[in-house]
Amino acid sequence: MSNQLIYMSILVASLGTYFCRAFGVLSARNISPNSPVFNWIKCVSIGVISAVIARIILFPAGILGESTSFSRIVCTLIALGVYFYFKKNVLLAVLSSAICFGILNHFL
Amino acid sequence: MFSSQPFKDGVKHAIGVPALGLGSSMFAFGAFLHSSGFDIFQSFLSTFFTFALPGQFVMAETILAGGTLLNIFLAVLLTNARLYPMTVNLTPVIRNENTSKLKQYIAAHFIAVTSWFNMFAIHRSLKQEDKFDYFVGLGGFLWANSVLCTVLGYLFSNIVSHEILIGMVFLNPMYFLIMTVSNLKEKKMITSITLGALLSILLNKIFPGWSILIAGVGAGSIGYFLFKGEPSE
Repeated sequence: MSNQLIYMSILVASLGTYFCRAFGVLSARNISPNSPVFNWIKCVSIGVISAVIARIILFPAGILGESTSFSRIVCTLIALGVYFYFKKNVLLAVLSSAICFGILNHFL
Repeated sequence: MFSSQPFKDGVKHAIGVPALGLGSSMFAFGAFLHSSGFDIFQSFLSTFFTFALPGQFVMAETILAGGTLLNIFLAVLLTNARLYPMTVNLTPVIRNENTSKLKQYIAAHFIAVTSWFNMFAIHRSLKQEDKFDYFVGLGGFLWANSVLCTVLGYLFSNIVSHEILIGMVFLNPMYFLIMTVSNLKEKKMITSITLGALLSILLNKIFPGWSILIAGVGAGSIGYFLFKGEPSE
């Protein structure tokens, strides 16, 4: 893997990513926050994010793929349980789930 | 802009859970790049110019698997395509009549799931003329923190155990999950979120590259059109 190839890959990945953002700014030119299109796009955005989260938890790429599905699913339920039980405490929910995930990964 | 109060308030908003969630995953990504043969400058550049973690992982994995530059471009484009609707959605919220096009294109680089959720959570309590500076403070800090954490992850990868690194990567999707769940108020949002997750799982084996986009667009459209008459918050 040459240095030149790595630099080119970073450039290409950056262009691919920025294209999505720049095209988004361009498309938003005539969109008002009170329009039906705006509300539809908000639903699509949250749908896409929800799809990304489901994919990361059930079919992860990268080093998260080295963990078991069981530990990921259990810790997802823990995050949700802690969030609602402790009056929507985001920090407690995220940290408790990550700590449980670390412990489960160690033993499984 | 950098001395304005809304900018400083945006930075303050980012410090804490948002920076921790994203920063920990970027730290793990820096460690991953170290073990994959990247140098520290390349790791720095990756987050500096891309700032979208799933696409960064895909870039590194595709190059390690021997993929071509075209493979990398298409894989990253598909993986980060979520940024398109997010940008279309956020830009009209933060801009005002004095926001130049150049500023909008620069600020777009700071749009990521974490900054998007946090901006939507607070924007109604801000004056329209303050929103742009606030977002640049919020998103800009998250971006700078991510670049720093990637470099720190690279430098300290030998000290932190592999198990802890995996745990750090898990923090970010859990933060996304909690932020998503906090949107479970309107029926159209509940439907979009639930269907998005279900369709993504169902379509993953049939269209692995496209499942997220198809699921998101399908779920969002069904949610919106089923509850079109529902007042938005």
